[in-house]
Parts: sequence; C-alpha cells; structure tokens
Amino acid sequence: MSEVSEASAQAVDAVEVPAPPQGIPSPDGWLRLSPRALAVRPITDLLRTAPVLIGLLFAGMHGGRLNYWGLSFGALAILTGIWRWFGTKYQVTDDRVYVKHGLLSPRVLSTPRSGVRSVDLTAHVMYRLLGVARVKIGTGRNDKREGENFNLDAIGVAEAEALRTLLLTAPRAAAEHVATAETEIVSLRMSWIRFAPLTLTGLVILGVLVGFVTQAEHDAGVNLAALGAVHSGIHDVTHMPLAESIPVGVLTLVIGLVLVSMLGYIAVFWKFRLVRTGAGSLRVTRGLLSTRATTIDETRLRGVEISEPLSLRAGKGARLIAITTGLRVGGGAERGGSVLLPPAPRVVADRVAAEILGVPSGLCSIELVPHGRAAFRRRHVRTLVPICLPSIALLITLLAFDVRLPYWLAVIAPLAIVLGVLLARDRYRGLGHRLIGDWIVLSTGSFVRRRSILNVRGIIGWQLRQTWFQRRRGLVTVTVTTAAGKQRYSAADMPMAEALAFITAATPDLVPPFLS
Amino acid sequence: MTETGVAPAEIPTLRAPANRVSRRAIWYWTAMATVGAVVLVGAEVGIAAACGFGSGWWTAIGITAFLLLLRVLVMPRWRYRVHRWEVTRDALYTRTGWFSVRWRIAPISRIQTIDTERGLPERIFGLANVTATTASTAGHIRVHHLDLATAEKLQAELSLITASIPGDAT
Repeated sequence: MSEVSEASAQAVDAVEVPAPPQGIPSPDGWLRLSPRALAVRPITDLLRTAPVLIGLLFAGMHGGRLNYWGLSFGALAILTGIWRWFGTKYQVTDDRVYVKHGLLSPRVLSTPRSGVRSVDLTAHVMYRLLGVARVKIGTGRNDKREGENFNLDAIGVAEAEALRTLLLTAPRAAAEHVATAETEIVSLRMSWIRFAPLTLTGLVILGVLVGFVTQAEHDAGVNLAALGAVHSGIHDVTHMPLAESIPVGVLTLVIGLVLVSMLGYIAVFWKFRLVRTGAGSLRVTRGLLSTRATTIDETRLRGVEISEPLSLRAGKGARLIAITTGLRVGGGAERGGSVLLPPAPRVVADRVAAEILGVPSGLCSIELVPHGRAAFRRRHVRTLVPICLPSIALLITLLAFDVRLPYWLAVIAPLAIVLGVLLARDRYRGLGHRLIGDWIVLSTGSFVRRRSILNVRGIIGWQLRQTWFQRRRGLVTVTVTTAAGKQRYSAADMPMAEALAFITAATPDLVPPFLS
Repeated sequence: MTETGVAPAEIPTLRAPANRVSRRAIWYWTAMATVGAVVLVGAEVGIAAACGFGSGWWTAIGITAFLLLLRVLVMPRWRYRVHRWEVTRDALYTRTGWFSVRWRIAPISRIQTIDTERGLPERIFGLANVTATTASTAGHIRVHHLDLATAEKLQAELSLITASIPGDAT
C-alpha cells in the first residue's frame, strides 16, 4: 500500500499512473479480473442447474422428456459469464477509477477517486474456496443498471483488499494512515441470537427453501412426497384426528421458523464486527459461509436509521442501517451493504448509533415532538376507514339480498375495529420529529418503526405535501430529500406552523425567504 | 399533545412562489384530461357492451362521464391557480398540484443538471418543461408548462449559477 502511494507521489507529472501494480496487467494498462473468477461462474451455474442435470440423467434412462429449457438457460448463463469476464477490465490512476464493460462495444466508466463513497467486498463459499472476492465500488451515481456500475466480479482477495485501502484513502494521507490502529465499536454477542426469531427472516428463508425444493423437484422430475420418510411423515399427520394434527402442524412450523431464523442469523452475521479504521472509515465484516466486508467513508455518512419491526420492538430489539451516499438502501444485497448492526438490543443500537455519529447516546432514544391532536385523529381515520367501509358495504349487500348474517361477522368486525384502533394509536406514537444541534430526527411507522437521524449537511431539499383532507386539519407531510440512503425521509401530519418552524430551524439559509 | 417543539409564537405561512406557469397550460391540462376521460368512458362502454348493456351500466357510465367532465372543467383552472415557481439567488421554489398541493424547495447549490424537454403535446401547446435534478433521486424539481422563451431564460439562468458553484452537490 505504501509502495503504491509513493509510486503515485513520484509520478505527479504523468497523465496516468496505473495503480495498484497487483493483478494481471493487460498491454494497455488495464487490469483483468482474476482468472480464478472465470472458474467461479461456470461452477456456480453448474451447481444451480444440477437438478436439471440429474433430471436429465433420470429422464435419459427412463426415456422421459428432456428439460431442454433449463439446459439451454444453463449453457447461456455460462457463456455470458465467460463473455463478461473477458469484457470487464479496470484501472486506477492517480485521480480516477476506470471500469470497462463489454467486448464488442466497450463502455468505459470513470469516476474521480474522491467520488468513491464505499467499497463492498463479498465472497460466497465458492469465491472463498478459490480465494477471490466480488468488489462493489459505490459512487453514488446510478449503480442499479447493468453496465453502469463499478462492480468487479471477481478479483483475488489480496488485490481486492489493496484496492479497497487504496480507494478509501486519500492519496496524500495514505502513507500517514497505514499504520493507524483500528478501534472496535461493536461485535456480535451470541445472546443476540434471541432476536432472530423476532424478525421475518425465518419466514423469508423458509419461503426461499420451499421454492427451491419445489423447483428442484420439478426440474429433476422427482416426486418427493413419494419418498419413504417424507411419505410416512405426511401419512402420520394427515391421519391424526384434527384436534391433534392442527397443534402438531403449528408447533412444527413454529419450531421450524425459530430454527431456520437462528441458522440464518448465524450464517449472515457470524463474526459480525464494526470497526472504525484509522483512515476515517467504518468497516463491517460478517458472514459464516459467504463473507462480506463493507467499508463506508465516514465523510459520506449522513446519518443512521434505527429500525424496529413490530415483533423486534416487542422484544426491545432494533437494527441499525447506515444512511450514506453511494450505498442505496434497496432490496437484497444492496440493503445488506448498509447494515451497521444486526438485530440486537435497542440500547446497543442507540449506543452504536451515537458512537458512529459522534453524538450523545441520549439523542437516539430522546423523546420526539409529537404531532398533536389533529394527527392523532387522522391516524384513526386513515386506519379505520379502510376497515369500516368494506364492513358496512358487506353488511348492506347481505341485508339487501336478505341473507342471514353469518355469526362470525359479529366477531370479526368488532375485533378488526379494536385492532384498528390499537394500530392507529401505535402509528400515532410512532410519529415524531426533532431538531437537535446539527441533527434532524424523524420517526414514523408501526409495523416497522423507523427513527432516522440525519445530519443537516445532507439535506438537499424539502418537499411539503398537503392533501385536501390535510389542509382542512392544518397538517402537512414533510419530506427531506438527500443523496444518501433512501433518498427521502418523511414525517407525516405535522402541524403546518410546526413544520415550517422545523424546516426553518434545520436550514436557516434556505427557507426564510419563502415565509410570510 | 401541545406543540412543544421549535414553533415560535407567531404563525408563519409559506408564501406563494412569484411566477405563474404559461396560461396555455390550462388548455394543455384540459386536452390531457379530455383524452383520459374519453379513453376511460370508451373502455367502460366497451365492457358494458360485452356484458350486454344492463340497466345498471348506463347509470354507471353516466356517473363516470359526469365526474370526468367535472374534472375536465375544474381541474385545469384549479391547477393553474396552484402551479407557481420562483428562482432566487439561493433556491428554487415551486408549488404544484390541485387537490393535493406540493411545495418543493431546493438550494441552487445542490442542483446538478438542468434539462429542458418538450414532448409532442407540449409542442402543440407551445410549452416547455424545465427539470432540475439533484443528487437525490427523490429530489428533482420540475418547473413545467412554461412558455418556451421563459423556459430557455430559466435554464440559462440556472446553468450560469450552478456552473459557478464548485463541488459535487451531494
């Protein structure tokens, strides 16, 4: 690393200095992906199409139909993988990062090195066996579209780590900071695993598993229900009396969910560690089978989000997500990149958030300004109208057609209304905002309560939205737009005067000219 | 449940931005709403025809047509009263909507690109749309339905200001 920066320091006059010197250089200074990565793609694709291949063997023997579709898709995937490997090259010069995609009509993407906000290293099992890692360079531009992202799939682990250090260290500061020690902010405690069943992760994993098994079963042309053990299991349960089979079924499902969610928690967050590196960035490392290391440039961090799904909140747990430019809070893998804390005790989340942001720990759990009586009423209207209107419509229809009212309606309708009122109250309690120093705190939600703590530096603009109904109540929904995280954070139903005072206080240079 | 926050004693309000959009926008919105209404009623008549025109259908079609006609007549004028925009030295400020109103404020220092676009309908009515994009994908500010000269002037003005500000506006 120090060699690299010295080399670039000496070559100030040169237009382009390829660095780092690792990797496999091609004649024009471009670096290729690792040749080992070339093997990853076909092998993973081969594994993915394994059920098809097995089915093919069976079918061939029994003279059944071949699964040509699955087979040709598999072949196509392998070919595009190889094509992409040859098409992707990268290089890092003194001040820019270049990535080239495509063989026939290559597109060269480049970004100033100062524009790199995060570097994300992931390695699935296959990658780890071959000693390579996938590198994702977050630049804050449109990194969703294929061919417009700075993703390298994949390069050697050593190169990847060198690249990360290189990109997240300012060229001048590089030499000074190399030796600086890391300080640990938080690491995984095994007792946190009690929060795993309180998230929906178990359900999701189970869904994926069921989907995968069904698909594999179909592709391989095997009927699992006909297999000995499975068959006898199903037989046992279905031939029990109903009073027994329902509890047994529910119990099995619950135990299965708890186990699966715990296993999932271990697989994803094993050896979770959040450290502050000497070079002014945060690094999250985690994972059992597939490891992941995300490094976030602290100057790009605009805030954090403490998120509490209902069940997790009931168990006094919370998750922590970074609000940073360059890492979009999206679905799947991208969302995974911004995790700062797995489901853990809320107090730990508060402490970690405070430590990351450099604010007093009380700021994360502080009481917020409630949105008042009108907002309270509006939460009830918004929750109860969708419950009551269909109920009344159903009632009228039934009466009109002279159908005798089913007895369960008398139970369901009041129950729904009671639940609706509870939900509305909880949603109201979730609403809140506050400005403390340089930080705006917004809170919203019941099923997933989110408290977003955002630095005023990150504010790119304000949007105030008022429906006709809100206008009658003097309420307004305030949205702050930012280049980080979800790009927009809202607080619903603020009283108009309070909202204006709030946005004026947060951005005193911006708003006052438009007030009267 | 009293407002214990930062609200001062006197109650401020947002003032309306200084400029209206082009008056021709009323006709543009009328045309758009008419096209939409014709398509919707047409689809409804089609479905009714397929079901054999029961007596209930005519009532439904009548109500839909009446509501859509009301929208065609009311919405464009209402919208014209709401849609306003303003540029100051530091900020771009717009108000849009009709039934729901939306105010947007963005500092000019955070604007990244300024586009002027004219689709075919805009050309027909002699209108132009100016869109200022910011580093937030949710933070674009649209100053739409201007007459062409105003749009070009606005774009030139904004481009000049943003070009003079360094940094990547995130």
